[in-house]
Amino acid sequence: MAEPRFDELIHPSTRLSIVALLAAADWVDFAFVRDRLSLSDSALSKQFATLESAGYIVIERPMANRRRRVHVRLTDAGRCAFEGHVAALRQIVDSIGEPATP
Amino acid sequence: MRDTIGESDARLALTAVEHSRQQVIAEIDMPRWYWLGLAAGWIGLGVIADVGPGWLAVAATIVFGAAHAAAAQNVLSGRRRSAALSVRAELAGTHVTALVIGFLLGLVALTIAAALLIDADGANHPATIAGVMAAIAVALGGPELMAAVRRRALQNVPS
Repeated sequence: MAEPRFDELIHPSTRLSIVALLAAADWVDFAFVRDRLSLSDSALSKQFATLESAGYIVIERPMANRRRRVHVRLTDAGRCAFEGHVAALRQIVDSIGEPATP
Repeated sequence: MRDTIGESDARLALTAVEHSRQQVIAEIDMPRWYWLGLAAGWIGLGVIADVGPGWLAVAATIVFGAAHAAAAQNVLSGRRRSAALSVRAELAGTHVTALVIGFLLGLVALTIAAALLIDADGANHPATIAGVMAAIAVALGGPELMAAVRRRALQNVPS
């Protein structure tokens, strides 16, 4: 299990949903993420740019059936950050009800 | 950390993460063309076995097997239903390929058994009849098998 580590970059809701989608896949097509999260191309591109500049994702442009696709994948650093963030969220939820430490 | 985010926010965030995971799990499947092509091939082989010479049935079976191996290699894992994404192996389960192959081998055995029984009963075109039965099982059972894989993936709580 990952070490709990809250990640401010991942936490905003749209970005968290994007990273969670990417975390469940080897790679995801740009259009899939856009359609599932009901985002515009430009809004999604901005989110990807932020994640890419942090080293959390890589964007690839393979050719498929003579069409250029845009595939996005989580890097090892991105996956590590996501898993740490989810662990931190679980820790917050799980710690409710526990007696406060003095 | 508690100062930054509350319990309800954390819960909402985890719900969003789970929703995204479910959206990817919903993509675990095999293309529709795979099951339909397999069903059509099964019927075709049955017809050839009934009306064609023995060598043609053997040749058609070899060609069908080779075509299936070539077409199925990228889709048997259930992780590539479409060109939209590739589901992670640990999410889809590493057993999907073995499950599908086992399902198909079971159907081959049932097809042969059914054809022999129908033939013993004296009916005409036993291989065709058995092939149609297997084709129906493939067309209906294949997608149902993948639905079971998705249900299982949903039940697997991520660590």
